[in-house]
Amino acid sequence: MAIIVRLDDMLARRGVSLTQLSESVDITLANLSILKTGKARAIRFSTLAAICGFLDCQPGDILGFDPQGEEP
Amino acid sequence: MIRQDGLMNGARLVVRVALWANRLFLAGVVLGLGWSLVSPGQFAAVAGAEIAGMRWELLLGLVMGAATDCLLTALAAIIAVAAAGDPFIAANAGRLQRIGWCLLVLQLCELPGLLIARGYPGLGAAAPVPDVSITGWIAVLMVFVLARVFAVGAAMRDDLDGTI
Repeated sequence: MAIIVRLDDMLARRGVSLTQLSESVDITLANLSILKTGKARAIRFSTLAAICGFLDCQPGDILGFDPQGEEP
Repeated sequence: MIRQDGLMNGARLVVRVALWANRLFLAGVVLGLGWSLVSPGQFAAVAGAEIAGMRWELLLGLVMGAATDCLLTALAAIIAVAAAGDPFIAANAGRLQRIGWCLLVLQLCELPGLLIARGYPGLGAAAPVPDVSITGWIAVLMVFVLARVFAVGAAMRDDLDGTI
């Protein structure tokens, strides 16, 4: 079972680059890349709130659950 | 930070000196033990004490010296890692636990020391002077508790490492 990160899809839907998101939510590009590629082991509520606030979406739009997937 | 570096440098120096002094002591003990086996008469004449008691004492010194070496080696490794700025790692928890076991061995060595002193009164001033104190046992307990704290802290830090 694993959590899938759909940040890429959401960024594409909003027409926003990862760099723009990084500058707006004050999270390093390196950390956002780790999150985007599904290599993060956990995400803080504050990070999630900042991303959702900027992209005007819900946590479920960015994160999903795949029972067959593997943990990072 | 400067004060901390001073502390680390000081601790590193003290441990290094103690490590080499202990190794010299160990070498002396091994030589003494070898001498007592190869030439017991000459050894007894020079030592001026009961040879059997001296042998037991040297054997005890060997065990205590080995435990001290193990303890100081682990402490030196912890200091080196702490000076590098990353002390909260699982390896240090293991080293602390090793220090705890070494301290326990050193505490337990007080008992045979006491038996040697009582069993061989002819040793006189050369007899071991056991120092059975509650503080030593509390130190053993404290180091084991600290080792557990380090292990949990290291696991928590590992978790935080992947947190965005």
